[in-house]
Amino acid sequence: MQHLSEGTIHSWLDGALTADEAARVEAHVKECPECAAIVAEARGFIAGASRILTALDNAPRGVIPVVARKKRIDPMVWRVAATLVVIATGTLVVFRNDGRKTELATRVADSASEIRVTDSIRPIAPASPSIDQTMKAAGEAAPSVTNEQSFSVPAPVAMSTPRAGSTAKIAEKGITADAEVTAQRSAAPAAPTAQGSTEPAAAIAQRSIVTAAPAARTAYSGSALSAPLQANAQALDSKEPNKRSDVVAEEQLSLRVVGTPRTLGAKVTLYEVAPGDTVTLREESSTRLESVVTVTGAAAAPLGRQSVEKSAPPAQAQRAADTPVVGAADSQRSVGAAGALARTPSAPAPVTRVEFANGVTTIVWVDAASGNVMKLSGLIREARLQQIKARIEQERAATAAAAKKSP
Amino acid sequence: MTDVERLFRTYNAALVRYLTRRLGDRDWAEEVAQETFVRALRPTSIQNERAWLFAVATNLVRDEARKDMRRRKHLALLAEEERDAMVEPEETTLERAQEAAMARKAVDALAERDRLALLMREEGLDYNEIAEALELSPGSVGTTLSRARRRLVESYEALQKSQEEREKNAAS
Repeated sequence: MQHLSEGTIHSWLDGALTADEAARVEAHVKECPECAAIVAEARGFIAGASRILTALDNAPRGVIPVVARKKRIDPMVWRVAATLVVIATGTLVVFRNDGRKTELATRVADSASEIRVTDSIRPIAPASPSIDQTMKAAGEAAPSVTNEQSFSVPAPVAMSTPRAGSTAKIAEKGITADAEVTAQRSAAPAAPTAQGSTEPAAAIAQRSIVTAAPAARTAYSGSALSAPLQANAQALDSKEPNKRSDVVAEEQLSLRVVGTPRTLGAKVTLYEVAPGDTVTLREESSTRLESVVTVTGAAAAPLGRQSVEKSAPPAQAQRAADTPVVGAADSQRSVGAAGALARTPSAPAPVTRVEFANGVTTIVWVDAASGNVMKLSGLIREARLQQIKARIEQERAATAAAAKKSP
Repeated sequence: MTDVERLFRTYNAALVRYLTRRLGDRDWAEEVAQETFVRALRPTSIQNERAWLFAVATNLVRDEARKDMRRRKHLALLAEEERDAMVEPEETTLERAQEAAMARKAVDALAERDRLALLMREEGLDYNEIAEALELSPGSVGTTLSRARRRLVESYEALQKSQEEREKNAAS
């Protein structure tokens, strides 16, 4: 008789065989030491499995609390709740991003219009052998240029190469998801811009928008391309500083005054910069002499640099990268004995202090015209505050100019 | 005593234990068991009631079918009585909890059919009943069970060994 199968042995031990079969198995096991060994092993497995399964009985009652179990909420309710949360979060993200996307779209359109300017300055851009390439590259760089905008100080600054590198990094991280949408959206605003220009310019502008999409989809290539490109943009900036600052100011979202709470010794204005996002501008009336203000302005420049450096967490490479920019801007402006007062009213005043507390960013500067200490704070990034500051200063300057004209 | 009540009193303990081992949660197991008896209220032709009950319970777990709250209420009362008669599990110590966790892991590692066959066998179902509940041929139950037992014991022992090694490493 051939050896018994393991299944048969288990069947026999479980008493599942007919009397005849059982007798045959028994006889074989008595004569066959191999099968006898398997039988012994099988007994061990049966006892062992039984013991292991008994351990499962220790699974205590109330792995899920009894009370919660009895009043268990219909899973449908959970599903609905989860859906609502997802939708709410999604909507929030979309709304939040929407502002940025609009910004991006504007910026892409702007970059298209800037390209027309490029034509006249082309010889100074060494990295662009042909206009066609420049355009294409500008299109690819558009998202990252935009991003750099939202992070940087609005002052027209000649940027260094490391800065371009960091911009590229940001482009990798942040813009990838948005850029595709941006590219799609920007098609609309870009078209009118292109129409105004010559025929080839329109074609090029469109092409640049098209190239923006694949560049964004593959963040690596996009960012890599944007680095040399950035140099082009910088070259433009240094040639046309005023235009650049205008662009920066124009692309801000509109500032809406939503409240002016009464405060002693200071004028407080609440601006809504985005739906639900407000910043507070606190203008502390100063009775100090103009000369003192001048000194404050000049002396504050290096101080501002320090505080920015100190307060920048090392992880936030972008903010750290901003630091030399702030410094450069300040040093440029600080040149000359005239100091702050010699500045044109439209030029942005240097930030003297940046504070971060509980997520609230505050930038402090001295208003050139009035000598008042201005504090702008909000639950937003410093770079964004800087942009808002620029916008506020622009508005103030416009108001002041209007007041002068009609005394 | 109605027929369902008789079924309940005869098989509830085994069914709950089977389901507890299967699901790892006694309350859930009781709910499924009750639902199984609710199904028995429906006019059906049942040849082997134990095999039928285990098959229904197994399918309920699989389908996660929703329960009939109204009918369950009456059975919940019966379960309350039953629970008083049952021996409560011993107090959980760390060692016991570890054992239970390893057992759970080892059982979960089994193929579904092997696991169910083994759990049913542990509740005393004979080969024909297991075959009927799981829609197997009676001849293959022995093979299924031998495989399930061997794998369960082997994977449990492997888990034990790695646990011991971890403790040794932690000690050194």
